[in-house]
Parts: sequence; C-alpha cells; structure tokens
Amino acid sequence: MDAAAQAEPAIRFRGATVVYPSGVKGLEELDLDIPRGDRLVIVGLSGAGKSTMLRAVNGLVKVTEGDVEVEGRSVRESQGGALRELRAKVGMIFQDYRLVRRLSVLQNVLIGRVAQVPTWRQMLGLWPRPDVEIAFEALERVGLVDRAYVKASQLSGGQQQRVGIARALAQKPSVILADEPVASLDPVTSHEVMDDLRGINEELGITTLINLHFLDLAKEYAVRIVGLRQGRLVFDGAGADVTEDDFSEIYGRHMTAEDVLEAQVAL
Amino acid sequence: MISRPRRPNQATRWVVSAVAAAFLALLTFWSARGIGFSFLELFGNLGKMSRLISESFPPAWNFWPRLIGPFIETVQIAVIGTLIGSLFALPLAILAARTVSPSKPVFWFHRNLMSVLRTMPDLFWAMLFASAVGFGPFAGSLALIVFTVAIVSKLTAESIESIDMNLTEAVKASGGNWFEMVRFSALPQFLPQYVSYVLYAFELNIRASTVLGLVGAGGIGMVLNTQRTTFQYDRVTMIVLFVFAMVLLIEQLSAAARRRLV
Repeated sequence: MDAAAQAEPAIRFRGATVVYPSGVKGLEELDLDIPRGDRLVIVGLSGAGKSTMLRAVNGLVKVTEGDVEVEGRSVRESQGGALRELRAKVGMIFQDYRLVRRLSVLQNVLIGRVAQVPTWRQMLGLWPRPDVEIAFEALERVGLVDRAYVKASQLSGGQQQRVGIARALAQKPSVILADEPVASLDPVTSHEVMDDLRGINEELGITTLINLHFLDLAKEYAVRIVGLRQGRLVFDGAGADVTEDDFSEIYGRHMTAEDVLEAQVAL
Repeated sequence: MISRPRRPNQATRWVVSAVAAAFLALLTFWSARGIGFSFLELFGNLGKMSRLISESFPPAWNFWPRLIGPFIETVQIAVIGTLIGSLFALPLAILAARTVSPSKPVFWFHRNLMSVLRTMPDLFWAMLFASAVGFGPFAGSLALIVFTVAIVSKLTAESIESIDMNLTEAVKASGGNWFEMVRFSALPQFLPQYVSYVLYAFELNIRASTVLGLVGAGGIGMVLNTQRTTFQYDRVTMIVLFVFAMVLLIEQLSAAARRRLV
C-alpha cells in the first residue's frame, strides 16, 4: 500500500446529514475523519444520532446531504453490487444480536461470507472449504468453536453476541461497527464482549466504531470518544482525558447512576 | 353531582329491527319461490326417503376390496397436487409478500395473480383441465395443483409478512443480495409454517379429490358416481363409510405431524 493510501482515513464524514422521511434530523453536518485502526466510542443520549451515524457508514441509512467515505469510496454513490462490495468490508454488530435462531452457530457465522461465495453455492449449502475455515477461525477467536453445530437459540445472550462478533469477523472486514453491543447484557458479560472488541481492534488492526451509553465503559474501552447531541458533534477527544464535565456537556445534564454500568452492579 | 344520562330513544331501534326482519323474510320468500323450495314437498316425499334409506342399509360390506385401488388413485391425485403445487407456491409466496418482495411492481403482480387463482373454485379448474386433457386422474391432479398453489401461497405469504425483518438487515449489512437475504434470514423463519400449510393442503386435497371424481376426474369419487347412477345404494353407503374412515385417519396423522412442527 502506498503512502497516500495509508494516510487516507478509514472513514470520512463530510458534511453528512440525515433527515428521515418523518422530518426528524438523525445527523447534522457531521465532519469527522477516523484513521485506520482507530477505536472510537460514540456516546450520547438515545435519539442523539449514534445509530444513524453508524448506519450511514454501511449505507443502511442513506445520507440526505454530504457524504461518507469508506477507504476513499463514497457510500452515497455506491449502488447494487458496489454497495454490497463496500458492505462486505464493514462488519456490523447489533444490540439484539440479529442471529437466525433456527440456524446453527456455524451457519450464522457463514452469513459473514455471503458476499464472497457464489449465490448458487449458498442456496445449496455448498460452502467452499476455505470459507468454512474462516468461519471456524472466527469462532475460535471468540471462544465458541465448541458450539459450532448448536442452534443459535440455545446460547446465552453473551454467547449470542459473540457469535455476532464472529459473523462480523468472518467478513474479514477493515471496519467494524458495533451498535450498542452490550445494552442487552449483564455487567460481567458486557466486559467480556468489550474485551473481545478491544482485542480484535488491537491485534487485527480493524478500525472499530462502538456506540455506548454507559460512560464508564466508554472511558475504559475507547481510544477516542466523540459525543453526539441532537445529531451534532459536540465532543471529540481522547478516551483517557475525558472528564465528568465533558460527559455532562454531551448529555446536557449531570451524570446519574443510570449512565454508568458499575453503579448498577452496586445496586 | 354528575347527572345520569337519559335513556336513548328506543323507537328508532324498534323501527330498524322491524325493517331488517321484514327484509330478511322477503328475501327468504323470494329465494324459496325461485328454486321451488318447500318443506311440504320434503315431508310429502318421506316415503321415497325411507325407501332410499332401507335400500342403503345394510352397507355392501363385501364391496370394500374394490375400493382400495380407486382410493389409492385418489391419494395419488392428492399427493401430486400437493407436492407440485407447493413447489410453485413457495416462490409465488415470497414474491407476493409485501415485506420481502424485491419491488412494488413485482409484489402487486404476484399478489394479484394469487387472488385470481383463489377466486376460481377447484371444480372450475377440474372442468377446465378435463376439457383440455380429457376426463381422468390427470385432469384432477392438474386442478389440485392450481388449488394448492392458491391456498399454500396465500397462507405462506401472510406468514412471511409477519417474520422479523430486523434479521434481514444482518444479511444486508454483510453485503448479501436479495437471494441470500431470503435464503438465510426469511426462509429459516417461515419454513416450519410453510411445511405445516403443505400438510394442511394435503388434507384438503384428499377431500377435494374425492369430490373431483364425481365430475369425472378419477379416483374413488368416480366409483361413487357409477354406483349412485345405477341405484346401488348399499354400495354407496359402503363407499361413504370407507371414505369417511380413510379421510379421518389421514387428517389425524397430518394434524399430529403439524402440531410437532410449529
């Protein structure tokens, strides 16, 4: 890779604005460069535009003005095959896991390979060996390889989310988007899942964007934190330096016990 | 203190009820005149009825071995109708499900196609195919194929519309196309219901193929028609009992299988 490509950010928001058909503004003129390998945590109240921001990256939500670029490629101008190619480079992890509960763990992870394997082979379930190998490696990475042939519905919440991570990893992505990945999990499992995400970022160098609403988790796991408020960027700083005042500024109110994960353990 | 409401006017209600009753009475009278319906005539013919009943009993028990072949044909007609019809019904249901169909025009076309198929009764299709390929089991199975497509596609399309569409987003986010979305997120969710509808269609088809025989589309219905037109009422009774037992048996088996599915 030449120097110019190295310098190019993984993701670039350029005046990205999202107005939903209802008239609600999801995102307003966001300008942000996210360098390759960054681990960025996005915080903000619910409805502040965190999900919209992530979904604008893989085109699940269309920007209505401005643009988002993934490794120099415009999301807005990507259609059909080009958009699918772009999405294949971007893994996504969801709050509610989005696993097909009736399928096995391995089959769920193989969904991460859909863009790489001819459609007819998938229809017949004839996954090529190398792709199955990639799926198994992803399961090894999240420590669930022994559950490969178990139905997804039989796993616990934390295990299901790790299958979700394995599915994203099976894409061999350069970017991972995690949309509130621990919002449905208990504190201990939350830490396990966040540790997985940090390990993937540090060891594989995958640019990682994580939406969180627990501020202590954000501070603990972020290299960089950005704050959104009503669709606007109101904070951008290093995770280590962020203070309680900064959070109050992002939230527009003082922090409460509900804004941190550990306080809930104490309850 | 809040005052109690006044009792609503009863008179208008009485008038409405009286007019409705008069209208229904007139409608009944008009229809009865039109088709010559009369209880008196029924009672007047009680003698004929009792002769019919005495001729129908006891059933011709020793006739049953001759029913096995035709009944197997009835089952075969139903099997062909169910399996081939269900094969066509699956893609039709997917394209006619609002949430999964690839585009609005595709959705409307297939939704309307489904309605047209459903509007025509199975006997109509039997007559149509009998004219095209001649009377017999082949025409009967063609009619049941259409009947099965109509019913299974309608029920399945409704099931597909109730699946969790959030899951399809996971396949899309991985860079999947429409086929992959259907295969990995829609199909696993509605497959058990689909199989259950196929079994249900088989139950309906067993009964329908009996009736189709009456219009010459093969199977046990054809035997029934022959015996009836030659006034062998004890044999008719045997056929009715035989069909009753078999249909009941098949329905119970199929219903048990369906309960395990969903």
